Amino acid sequence: MGNFTLGRYMPLDSPVHKMDPRAKIGAMLIVMIAVFFPSGWTGYGILFVIAAGMILLSRLSFKFIWKSMKPMMFMMLFLMVINCFVIKTGTLVLTLGSFTIYSDALLQTAYIVVRLLLMIMITTCLTATTKPLDMTLGIEDLLSPFRKIGVPAHEIAMLISIALRFIPDLIEETQKIMKAQESRGVDLKEGKMMERIMAILSLIVPLFVSAFQRADDLANAMEARGYAPGETRTRYKVLKMHRRDYILLLGAACVLACMIWLSYFR
Amino acid sequence: MPIAFEQVSHIYSDGTPFRYQALYDIDLNLKEGKITAVIGQTGSGKSTLVQHLNALLLPSSGTVYVLDRKIEAGTRPKGLKSLRKDVGLVFQFPEYQLFEETVLKDVSFGPKNFGVSEEDAAKKSLEVLKLVGIDPSYAERSPLELSGGQKRRVAIAGILAMDPSVLVLDEPTAGLDPQGTIEMMKLFKRLNQEMHKTILIVTHDMEQVYNYCDEVVVMEHGKVKLQQGVDEFFSHPEQCIELHILPPDIIRMKTMLREKGFRIGDEIRDVQALAKCIARQVKHG
Repeated sequence: MGNFTLGRYMPLDSPVHKMDPRAKIGAMLIVMIAVFFPSGWTGYGILFVIAAGMILLSRLSFKFIWKSMKPMMFMMLFLMVINCFVIKTGTLVLTLGSFTIYSDALLQTAYIVVRLLLMIMITTCLTATTKPLDMTLGIEDLLSPFRKIGVPAHEIAMLISIALRFIPDLIEETQKIMKAQESRGVDLKEGKMMERIMAILSLIVPLFVSAFQRADDLANAMEARGYAPGETRTRYKVLKMHRRDYILLLGAACVLACMIWLSYFR
Repeated sequence: MPIAFEQVSHIYSDGTPFRYQALYDIDLNLKEGKITAVIGQTGSGKSTLVQHLNALLLPSSGTVYVLDRKIEAGTRPKGLKSLRKDVGLVFQFPEYQLFEETVLKDVSFGPKNFGVSEEDAAKKSLEVLKLVGIDPSYAERSPLELSGGQKRRVAIAGILAMDPSVLVLDEPTAGLDPQGTIEMMKLFKRLNQEMHKTILIVTHDMEQVYNYCDEVVVMEHGKVKLQQGVDEFFSHPEQCIELHILPPDIIRMKTMLREKGFRIGDEIRDVQALAKCIARQVKHG
């Protein structure tokens, strides 16, 4: 649990940390779209260099990125196996009895893996450099134009920020309960099927009980302080776009244009 | 060797920006068959220290000796299960660990994990439930519908049912009413005196330290600042002030009376005895 790095904020001091969350979210979305253009290996090469550059600029270590990728390894392997079974075009690479692997299957997998890697690198750049609360403020601002068509921008932002706010608490709670149950002889790592089910149950039941308790307490505390959804509220922290934020967005737009050109006009 | 720490340090999240060193080169010997209080301000490393005793936390460096077992930094400890049976750890607000359908099942959960048969576990559970003051009629109720104080008792019973020879309690009376606190502390004293269990209590309450414990360990900034017998510890008011500890009322009362010229013997430990002593001196001038 302690090694879980995907989507975790890293409190460092870098130019990327100081950027406006709206600009970062916008730029991330634009670059994400760019990743999905079939721009070939040249395009992926460029994107990879840009993503790596952003990581360096954020002062994140590549070890951190590598750790965030680990949970995805299984998914990538799964994709490869599926592709090997389904895609039967291109040249024959390998024959194992009646099982054959074709070059297109490997190529397709490689494409997907590269896209996944790029996506993780880019999203990590955002999540590791933006405090969850700033992120929510950014999302709220970006959603606010849609309020006219009935999108509850503030409520969505509040939901997200509460959910994010409780992730560390719930992780801590889980660790606490794990320790308490381990002290009672629970072995969460090994044991027979029945024992393991019991072990997981001894973790989940208290976790649910405390999560509902917390939700109840929070709802009461918010109401007691006069919180009413839908009312206009002022903000303690007001976001402001600087020149570097516009440069970031412009850069992202350039990357997107470049990928479109590489995909269709070359 | 009963329980000893040798040059033990503990670092949380080493190698990340969240790195935090909670213990610095702890050397500590705890006596068997005594009640030892661990005191110190929040964040002084008390909880980290006690979690080493059943190897929930492993030392980052140094060695912990618990009941002829050796837990060394950098090695996987052997016989973890038997260690956790012998050292019962009750966490702060232990009521969150309750999860079974009935009180009896929850209390039997620990012993059953350590290989005790269903019947023996149930028998032992009823025994300890009585010990902690839960009526047997509650045995078939759901632990989640009990009151806060009852939940606490059931949770502690769940550890006692494992029959540990060392009992470690992290603020066992936090949030209990005064009557419940006294009953709880009396129970620990009884466990110590009648069943000869070694007990370690993390607490902030100096009255408890004074009334029920034999030894004090003072923690400060991840180090052991002081280890002393309780009587000696409270007989130096200056030392308490220096450690930012408010002595129990009776001690402060005795200090004030002595300053006024009363002769108060060290053997006086409770309000009644003190009152008698004052009355005698007032009468006879």
